[in-house]
Amino acid sequence: MTKQRGYRSLGTAFPFKRREFMKVGGAAGVGLLASGRSLLAAQAQQAAPPPRPKTNIDEALKVPRTKYSLPGLFPGKVAEVNDEKAMADNVPNRDVIKAMFESGLQTLTGKTADASFPLLFTASDVVGIKVNPVGPGLISTRIELVEAVVDWLARNGIPNKNIVIWDRFDYMLTDAGFTAERFPGCRIEGLQTMDEAAAEGKTQDNSRWLRPDGTHVSTGNFDLDAYYWADVEGPKDLAYLNQHVYNGKYSYFGKLLTKDLTKFINIPVFKNTGNAISMATKNIGYGAVCNTNRLHAPLFLDVCVEVPAFPAVRDKMVLNITDGLRAQYDGGPGPEAKFTYLYNTLFFATDPFALDLVCHNILVEKRKSMGVRVNEHPKYTEYFRYAQKLGLGIGDPAVIQHVKS
Amino acid sequence: MTALTDKADGRFDFPMPAVNGGRAGTIEKLKLGRILAAVLILAAAVRGQGRELPPAADFAPDWSLGEKLVFVKGNLYDFIDGGADLYLEFGFERVLVQRYKKGEAELTLEVYEMTDADAALGIYLMKCGVETPVPDIPARNTGEPAQLTILKGRYFLHVNSFSPGADLLSEMVLLARRALEAVADESHGRWLDLLPVEGLVPGSERIVRGPNALQSIYTLGEGDVLFLGGRLIAAAGDYRSESGPWTLVIVPYPDEAAASAALSHLRAHLDSYLKVTDERGDGFVFKDFKEKYGAVERKGRVLEIRLNLSSAFDALQ
Repeated sequence: MTKQRGYRSLGTAFPFKRREFMKVGGAAGVGLLASGRSLLAAQAQQAAPPPRPKTNIDEALKVPRTKYSLPGLFPGKVAEVNDEKAMADNVPNRDVIKAMFESGLQTLTGKTADASFPLLFTASDVVGIKVNPVGPGLISTRIELVEAVVDWLARNGIPNKNIVIWDRFDYMLTDAGFTAERFPGCRIEGLQTMDEAAAEGKTQDNSRWLRPDGTHVSTGNFDLDAYYWADVEGPKDLAYLNQHVYNGKYSYFGKLLTKDLTKFINIPVFKNTGNAISMATKNIGYGAVCNTNRLHAPLFLDVCVEVPAFPAVRDKMVLNITDGLRAQYDGGPGPEAKFTYLYNTLFFATDPFALDLVCHNILVEKRKSMGVRVNEHPKYTEYFRYAQKLGLGIGDPAVIQHVKS
Repeated sequence: MTALTDKADGRFDFPMPAVNGGRAGTIEKLKLGRILAAVLILAAAVRGQGRELPPAADFAPDWSLGEKLVFVKGNLYDFIDGGADLYLEFGFERVLVQRYKKGEAELTLEVYEMTDADAALGIYLMKCGVETPVPDIPARNTGEPAQLTILKGRYFLHVNSFSPGADLLSEMVLLARRALEAVADESHGRWLDLLPVEGLVPGSERIVRGPNALQSIYTLGEGDVLFLGGRLIAAAGDYRSESGPWTLVIVPYPDEAAASAALSHLRAHLDSYLKVTDERGDGFVFKDFKEKYGAVERKGRVLEIRLNLSSAFDALQ
């Protein structure tokens, strides 16, 4: 018996004749037919990807580690807690979320939430809470979860004035509801400002963000002695500078991390970025430094390893909580409501790479179950193995301890 | 095609049709021109205020205008940092973002003007997922209570409601209708006709204009490994057969020489995780990291690429 073919080939008779190809392709097709050879010759020179840019990762690895250095106190351990009542009727339930926070923390540390506090903090710490405000209200870090964290810190002796809710951009924090009214006494800080009016072209007046000497008004917020260097130049246009503060080969860490905070908690959301995820390590890898957009294409997920390898993150990011109360399985990292779903789940880890690997695998299965085409190429998970090689986390699924409470 | 233009106050608008011949004519011609102008203005008025973007807030009662943003070309990173590359690859001109408020409720309209209708189709197919069309929207769309995703001509639109628990779908539809009145329709290329119908999984169709879109389907290599250059367009779709699911990518090139050049380039820069198991003059077979097989074959000026095949037998057919 002849085996059925798994496909129907187009055969040699391509369904479009040359003239029809021109119709199908419209003007582009016509242009390509006219100039195809020269275009392709040029592409042959351009199509090959450039080699991976050099970075200063070796400088980070030379710095002696501390007790809190990644992967932290619980390498490879990921705690998960789920409660269907957390987002009942699509509205966050503060009490349920608070209970989930305390339960998840206990599952991670083996101690009650309050007994866990001294494992990670002292009352003299200045504690940051890195949120993700993108997609406010839809897929941003839930305010109710941050409230639970602030309550826990406060009742264990951290005064509100020493709690800093932060992100790279100040205006995004406001949009996502992280305001002084909602978090009285806490500091709400962006590493930088960006003049939206100038960014959107509403005004040619750049004076609100650009100094007469051509520098960004937020340059003082970044530490010129602490930087991630990559051999990639940032674009030189004003729009880029407005958004990224610097545009050379240096991505400086915010002084908030290097000078002010003594510890911080990372609270990303559960969402994808293309075939990869945009959770714990991306939230901090692209959130702790400026001048990042230049890094997306040539280094992408490696940035999620190399930026956290520097002491400002490696030795201070003592806890990660991935907010999966509402999650997004496709269309990310931007908010795409169609692909969001109520997941009612929180994940806890000191090891952000083990955490992200667990969540990556969960998201891949979710994407498949929703009929999304999934490219499972190893390049989307290689950074976990790279992180393990650098001693920053566990990237081997067989070693990871995924515990549900 | 009529392009959006910026008015002095920053609003998007369409140029009104010309009503004058341009060259000075007789008094009668001038009168006729004035009459025509009056008729056209009246017609525009009768059709409401829908010819401008962003629509005024009277698309439904009690709404008011909120913040408006415009992002052009590379500034798209300011709006969707990390997700802009795909738009830019397909061909992006600008996006208008207008927020509307009613009490605590908020709607956001996003109108992406792409370089052509193919670019808009490409983004729409990447973003629409399984289509669930919302009635009363006079354009291809998919939607649910929090978001409408719409394609018309070279425009890709989102209407978002991020107000938890609020049922604003009917007002979202009204806003979408008003916005759609202001953008022209335009046909995209029949790229999806390249895909054989038999076995094609409905809703799996995509078009590809560069490496970002291709990576969402499969990693054949880094960079622009198919020589698409942001101008050539490939079609892709998933298929089901007795042997299992598989994926087809069809890349039409201008001529056989171009297709041969692309095949040679792909073979030379094939992803290191793909191991070639069989080679022939106009193509090759490979095994991937999941023990699935793929086949690349040039047929005239077309590259036919079959992926995720369950056996070498399938690949060699």
